[in-house]
Amino acid sequence: MRSASDPASLRAARWGLLAVAAALVFTFPVLAPNAYILSAGVVVANYAVLATSWNFMGGFTGYISLGHAAYFGLGAYGTGLLVTKADVPSFLALVLSGAIVAVLAVPIGIAALRVRGASFVIVSIALVLILLLVFQSWSSFTGGSNGLNVPRPFPDLLRPEHHLVFYYLFAGLLCLALLTWWAVDRSRFGMGLKAIREDEDKAQSLGVPTFLYKLVAFVVSATFTALGGGLYALWFGDLDPIFQFSILVGSYMVLMALLGGIRNLFGPLVGAVIVGSALEYFKLEFGDTQFHLVAAGLLLALVVLFMPDGVLPFIGDQLRRLGPGQSSIREVSAGELLEQNASRGDLPGQGDGVEGRAAPAPSEVTR
Amino acid sequence: MTSPHLVFQSLVLGVLLGGLYALLAAGLTLYFGVMRVVMIAHSAFLILAAYLAWWFHDRTGIDPLLSLAVTVPLFFVAGVLMQRLLIRRLSPVTLTMMSVLLTFAIALVIEGLLGYVFSGTQRRVQLGYSGSSFEVLGARVAVVKLIAFGLAVVALLGLYLLLKRSRLGQALRATIQHRDAAALVGIDTDRVAGYGFGLGLATAAVGGTALALDSTIYPSLHWHWIGPLMAIIVVGGLGSVPGAAIAAMALGILQSLLQLEMGTTWAQTVFYVALFATLMVRPQGFFGGRLAQRF
Repeated sequence: MRSASDPASLRAARWGLLAVAAALVFTFPVLAPNAYILSAGVVVANYAVLATSWNFMGGFTGYISLGHAAYFGLGAYGTGLLVTKADVPSFLALVLSGAIVAVLAVPIGIAALRVRGASFVIVSIALVLILLLVFQSWSSFTGGSNGLNVPRPFPDLLRPEHHLVFYYLFAGLLCLALLTWWAVDRSRFGMGLKAIREDEDKAQSLGVPTFLYKLVAFVVSATFTALGGGLYALWFGDLDPIFQFSILVGSYMVLMALLGGIRNLFGPLVGAVIVGSALEYFKLEFGDTQFHLVAAGLLLALVVLFMPDGVLPFIGDQLRRLGPGQSSIREVSAGELLEQNASRGDLPGQGDGVEGRAAPAPSEVTR
Repeated sequence: MTSPHLVFQSLVLGVLLGGLYALLAAGLTLYFGVMRVVMIAHSAFLILAAYLAWWFHDRTGIDPLLSLAVTVPLFFVAGVLMQRLLIRRLSPVTLTMMSVLLTFAIALVIEGLLGYVFSGTQRRVQLGYSGSSFEVLGARVAVVKLIAFGLAVVALLGLYLLLKRSRLGQALRATIQHRDAAALVGIDTDRVAGYGFGLGLATAAVGGTALALDSTIYPSLHWHWIGPLMAIIVVGGLGSVPGAAIAAMALGILQSLLQLEMGTTWAQTVFYVALFATLMVRPQGFFGGRLAQRF
């Protein structure tokens, strides 16, 4: 938003940071000391894909879905069932199941997007619960609670090599999702979606085809989530309805995206790295106890209460505070200032004359 | 294939189950009415109350019904505090969305703590009259189910009288109908909303004790309750207490009847089918008015 004093150097710094981050992502398998850390890296990469996919819906349109685990599970089971029941080659099965979920998401989206806000969240939760019931009960087809074994795509690879290959596959899918998000973010379509997020009724009255836009965003989001799920199925090789259609997975996606910042391209990725590592740590430290639930719940509550915009914007604000151009001398005219104050409503009638004495501290200005 | 005798039996069971659903859905409706908050943690508090009843019985050997004397006031206070300290901190613009996430987080914490403290083992209250039942017109009714139903009915009746007859009830209904207008005529809507929250949680306390009487409980059980309850309040129309009660009865009976043909797991899907059908046909629900339109 704010144009910095030296845009060229800022852009260079941003590209540099991006390059360093990308280099870190791609050299991680080499740096990882053992196979366990590498497999944890795969899990985090998977979470990053899921959270970024979620953000197509949550970030652009502001429709918070707690039930994206439904598409994760459908993608995973679609891939697994195509491989085991129809003998489709693994990666063709992955693409096919992504396509199937995309088709399924259309009627689901039409039903779910008829309502807003809280009802939408209810519907999204209901979807996961219904799919959990169906996949558990229909055991002749899905294997039910006994699980479904998906054969590995590369049977002759050793376990660490298997993790390595899938780490890069997940990273590739993540890049694809991020690129798509970036492209949408800059497009007219993305502008329409953001208008829906800010005020749906106004967007509609200005001629944005809100329902169609929402539906497309919903389908794209579901498809990417399904691809993440399918890749998970090929990597992990063992599916169970309880874990695939788990509200918890859906809530992790929301937590990661919110924590990182849903308005930022890399927000969900950052959130996934933080939450994903924390979850792995909790599993390692506290084992099978329910403690990770408490931790996830507390973290989600803290984010919702204190950082609803996410950690990236929060840090950005802090950095901006250190940067130049933050003196108490204002670069606005008296008229603009009056307007700002009126819209903020907390400093009534402060004109130019009294500013010298009553200027608020710089920290207040940045808020 | 199904004898009329069996149908009547499940009809009776459906009514008994519907009563409990109705009480819990009424609580959810209250939260939504006073604060426009969808309280995902409602069923988690339900299970918490059930655990407290079980624990109380396990420790003292006294009838778990008596734990109501402690849990109902405790939950009422917890509800008021929750509204005061947590829900009210959220910005009003994004209240509906963020409160869903916040209450979801509370549900996770409660589930996690229950699992941590009481372990994931399935628990069940064993009482002298647990196994006893009697016959009404050929249908066999377990005593504990009847007690649970009785509790639900008494609590619902109390809630109804409170809403219709008392000054607080009048204030509550005014706040539900139109918050700003209620504030204009001198109602302290903030305080009333807190009491609404407390009453909602109190229904969870009653429901939980009733639940503990005749079911096996475990920490993640609340997910099996929240789905049907959410479906009920959407079908009934968000914010309408009678709508929620009617939808709860209808769906409870339907579920019980479908169990005969389809088995318990598939019968549960009736709630979700009803939910999606409602959204397709009447997104605002069958009994809700203006309130539900935009949520």
